[in-house]
Amino acid sequence: MSALPHVRPIFERLSRGTHLSPDDEPFFSALSSAKFGDYADYFAPLGFELIRHEREFFYFAPNDPDKVPDTLPRIAVFSYILIDHAANQGELIEDFILGRNFLISALPHFSLDRYAALLRQVEVHDAADLKLILQHLERLGWLKWLGIDEFRFLRPFHRVFDRCLELSTQLASPTDAERPDSTV
Amino acid sequence: MKVNAQTFFNFCSGHVPLLRQLAERTGELSEAEIAGLIREHTLSQEELPETTWRRLCELQILVPTEPGSGYYLLAEPVARLLTYLFDEANPTTPEIVRGYIASLETLGGQLLRAVETDNVTFVGLAFHEINNTLRKIHADLEETQRAVQNEVAAFKANRERVAVRDRYRQIVYWMERFVEPMVDIVRPDAAMAAAFEETERLLRLAREQSLFNDHPALERNLRYLRLVRQHALRVFQECRKEFQPLYESLRRSSFIATGAAIALERLQREGIGNWGTQPVIGTCALRMQHVPGDAAISLALRRVIEHPPELAPVISFDETPEVPSGLVSQIWLNALPGEAIAALPLDDLLEWLAERYPDKSTGEILSGFSRLIFLETIQARFSEKPERDYSTADGTLHGHPLQIELA
Repeated sequence: MSALPHVRPIFERLSRGTHLSPDDEPFFSALSSAKFGDYADYFAPLGFELIRHEREFFYFAPNDPDKVPDTLPRIAVFSYILIDHAANQGELIEDFILGRNFLISALPHFSLDRYAALLRQVEVHDAADLKLILQHLERLGWLKWLGIDEFRFLRPFHRVFDRCLELSTQLASPTDAERPDSTV
Repeated sequence: MKVNAQTFFNFCSGHVPLLRQLAERTGELSEAEIAGLIREHTLSQEELPETTWRRLCELQILVPTEPGSGYYLLAEPVARLLTYLFDEANPTTPEIVRGYIASLETLGGQLLRAVETDNVTFVGLAFHEINNTLRKIHADLEETQRAVQNEVAAFKANRERVAVRDRYRQIVYWMERFVEPMVDIVRPDAAMAAAFEETERLLRLAREQSLFNDHPALERNLRYLRLVRQHALRVFQECRKEFQPLYESLRRSSFIATGAAIALERLQREGIGNWGTQPVIGTCALRMQHVPGDAAISLALRRVIEHPPELAPVISFDETPEVPSGLVSQIWLNALPGEAIAALPLDDLLEWLAERYPDKSTGEILSGFSRLIFLETIQARFSEKPERDYSTADGTLHGHPLQIELA
């Protein structure tokens, strides 16, 4: 145990659902090191699967996918609306979301009645509710505050993109040729 | 009608922005559209828009789509000239390249026949046509490469709000329409290479078997064949490289956008109750309680140690010597109906109770009174006698006499 640096704070964060990315030093460096396997082996008997995402961030696998706290559907709807907005702007989605800073007051979530109606379904009614979602995203390690009103999304937001890709293949049932993971 | 070249170019030199706009428009233009463009680009007050319009028609820059029509086209020779002048390029379609290949095959057949019949004139003509075809292929390949580069640059610089899925479709169109089929044609084991090899074989055959002795032309064609073959493959590999990153990133973005749209559409249609867990991104959520720390354990121990001693409660196990008053009262109540029924009928129940049980308290007398009047075997009614007082062991009751008898 003594050979694994920062194991206790790393465990505390990961077990709360936090994702560790380059903004979470020194824990990120510890996990990125050659000892990643040791950390994974250490946590495995405790029932936690340490995942190293291909975009280089770390998190514990969800323990029970069927038990969904109220906050997670809110986060999902918030994220999907942001992606939908980026797509309508004609921007590359990942560049749009991960490549710029955002202001709460300039978020597109109440710019369309359709978006507002979708948010109402998950009990999000105003900018204050949006801020609660953003605070939760910060706890997950998906965003970083840069000021009172300004923030940027962090690398672990790729988990949303991954889910979108899964949904587009599973729910739309496209042909293999159209699948995003098929070779070109 | 012949157009005077000097007049034509003089007009063009004064109307370059207008000509550029006309060149950028594809397809038919209505009179209204042309008039709008003329007004937009007529900077000088020296020329009226009507004059510009008339000159465009006189110089055959614009030609009607059909006689008397209100729609016009930019004349094809002018369009080609403008394309050349503005360095704009059009991509070569696979059909055009296939046409060149077919042309080379036809020319090869003609060349073979000319060689077999020793027809030097026909061999020379075939050589000339092969050379022309190769030059066209080379020029078209150059133009295609420029067109692709222009398209990629325009695409990257495009700041118009076009949905990412539409942008993806544009790139897919270019990839599928021009680049991919062309690579299939020009790759070393495909149709173009086979046609070139056959042409080269026939050219060598002509040199060996024919009287045709224009060896420089022969060498020129052979050199050109090798050049075009290498150039074609390189051009389309370059085109593919230009488009591939755009294609990949837009393709990914398009699928991400599609996934988000599917999730939102399901939420809109089915509501949050039926949305399910699939669109939700799960996270680990351990509800943990910390093990008590040393300080907490010390505090708990100190509280136990410092707690003042207290004697344990003593429980008496001795039997009670007296009959409880409640039990005595219950025994009396149970026996009361039998005694009362034996004395029936009674004109005044309360008087009978007070006189018969003078040591009973007011509460006990009233309990006996209630027990008797609610017995099913006894019927009770108030008499017409006046109200009176009834003395008990600890008080006085006041009321009308109540008669009871068997029901």
